[in-house]
Amino acid sequence: MDVKERIKSLLQQADIYQAQGLLNEAKDRYMQAGQIIKQHEDVIRNKSLLSSIAAKVRAINDDMKRLEESPLLREMPEQVQEVIRTKFSFSKDDNLKDMEGAIALAKFGQYKRALREFNELLSREDIRMDVAKNIFRCHMAMDLIEDAAVQYEQWMNGNLFSVGQLGKLRFFLQNILEKKGIDRQLPMPDDPGREKEVTQEEILDISSVGITISEGVKKGETIEYDVSFQSGNVINILISSTDKYLLEHLDVGITLDQVQFYSPMAMFNGKAVVSAKSKIESGPKQGYYSLDIKIKSI
Amino acid sequence: MANINLKDREIECKIVYYGPGRCGKTTNLEYIFKTFRKQVTGDMVCAKTEGDRTLFFDFLPMGVGKVKGFDVRIQLYTVPGQVKYASTRKMVLREVDGLVFVADSLEVRREKNALSLKDLHQNLKEYGLSIMKIPLILQYNKRDLAEQNIPIMSIEQMEKDLNRQLKAPSFPASAVIGTGVGETLKAIIKLTLQSMKQKMGW
Ligand SMILES: Nc1nc2c(ncn2[C@@H]2O[C@H](COP(=O)(O)OP(=O)(O)O)[C@@H](O)[C@H]2O)c(=O)[nH]1
Ligand SMILES: [Mg+2]
Repeated sequence: MDVKERIKSLLQQADIYQAQGLLNEAKDRYMQAGQIIKQHEDVIRNKSLLSSIAAKVRAINDDMKRLEESPLLREMPEQVQEVIRTKFSFSKDDNLKDMEGAIALAKFGQYKRALREFNELLSREDIRMDVAKNIFRCHMAMDLIEDAAVQYEQWMNGNLFSVGQLGKLRFFLQNILEKKGIDRQLPMPDDPGREKEVTQEEILDISSVGITISEGVKKGETIEYDVSFQSGNVINILISSTDKYLLEHLDVGITLDQVQFYSPMAMFNGKAVVSAKSKIESGPKQGYYSLDIKIKSI
Repeated sequence: MANINLKDREIECKIVYYGPGRCGKTTNLEYIFKTFRKQVTGDMVCAKTEGDRTLFFDFLPMGVGKVKGFDVRIQLYTVPGQVKYASTRKMVLREVDGLVFVADSLEVRREKNALSLKDLHQNLKEYGLSIMKIPLILQYNKRDLAEQNIPIMSIEQMEKDLNRQLKAPSFPASAVIGTGVGETLKAIIKLTLQSMKQKMGW
């Protein structure tokens, strides 16, 4: 083939490869053509050819760079997300199918949409724990660490999860945070910060309490009492008449902000209010004071 | 394995167009979408980059009549060809019922064809599927470029490169103008349904 023909053919190929998005192949052909032109400057009269080839190679380089830098993931239109949600979920079981659909969205990097789906799935008790963990995973994937922590605290203050479940969720999230080297301590589910109205059924058997004194000369001191009996969220303790200081302070209606409740299973902090106080007039505990304490929150 | 819904009396088959980047998979689906209006049952959904390249997949739903009283729904997918999208390709391949391997006839893409076929083979294996057993059609695309004096491989060459062991039915094609696209589609649907019937004992 004559030189001019060869150059023509190379440029023709390069143009087509470029149009088809075959950038490496196009660049290669332009470069070859350029080299042949340089080697035969005597026969090639068109002096602008070389510079026009150089411009094309530059354009291809730019394209390549753009492609390389283009993100591997992006938020897709709703229509694409629907295909992902419905067609990339393979389970026959309805609960699992919806769950798998939401997981598929996350796998394709559609985290915001996945979060929406997971949040709806929280209403389903049997999969709630897995859903919650997936919600954390989405936050993590988006690098929204604070969102995950806030979400946990919200759950902690709500009633969607039991204390046991919250403990597991905290463990799960704390673990992820530690692995990522993030110094963020999540509160324990039974922390005093947790303001939760308690109902009768939720109260464990409490064997003893520790009451921390909040004012006066004994401020900060914790005094422990055995529980003499318990009825739901009301516990009864007996205080000796010699504990004058305490008796003076523990009047009916007083709120105790720092109470430790000890059950055979666990210790937890909470608040309580003194609901009754009376002096025992007869029997072996004569002279003691009987105090009813109603648990407000744990 | 095809998804059979006894309640709605529907059968769903998944057919995936596989092949190296820029070989013409999306162009195949675009042509099908334009041409087989009666069979197409919904929009063609393209999960693509801002630069119009396939990022996750293309999706095209079709209906192709009844088998044993069941509505047969075919879902066509393409995969992203670029090497870096390996995990997406594998996700799209999950529970595939039939495959079209689109090979690029351009000489400069010879090696890429072979690599992509190998990648397909490997991904199928990881799902416990065999490339020798799954319904498979080969398509040798961009035949039209010969007329523009662009070096392309002969069919014999491509058969030797890609189909010597597979011995799958193969079709030359020019997806931009539509040549061979319908033949490829009909052949893969036929193979896929045959295989499905066999598995069902029908
Ligand atoms: N000349 C020619 N070009 C084609 C043919 N098929 C696809 N193309 C072009 O090849 C490029 C890549 O096609 P596309 O379908 O996006 O490839 P994909 O990456 O496999 O989906 C586009 O510019 C198409 O127009 C064909 O049969 N002939
Ligand atoms: Mg494509």
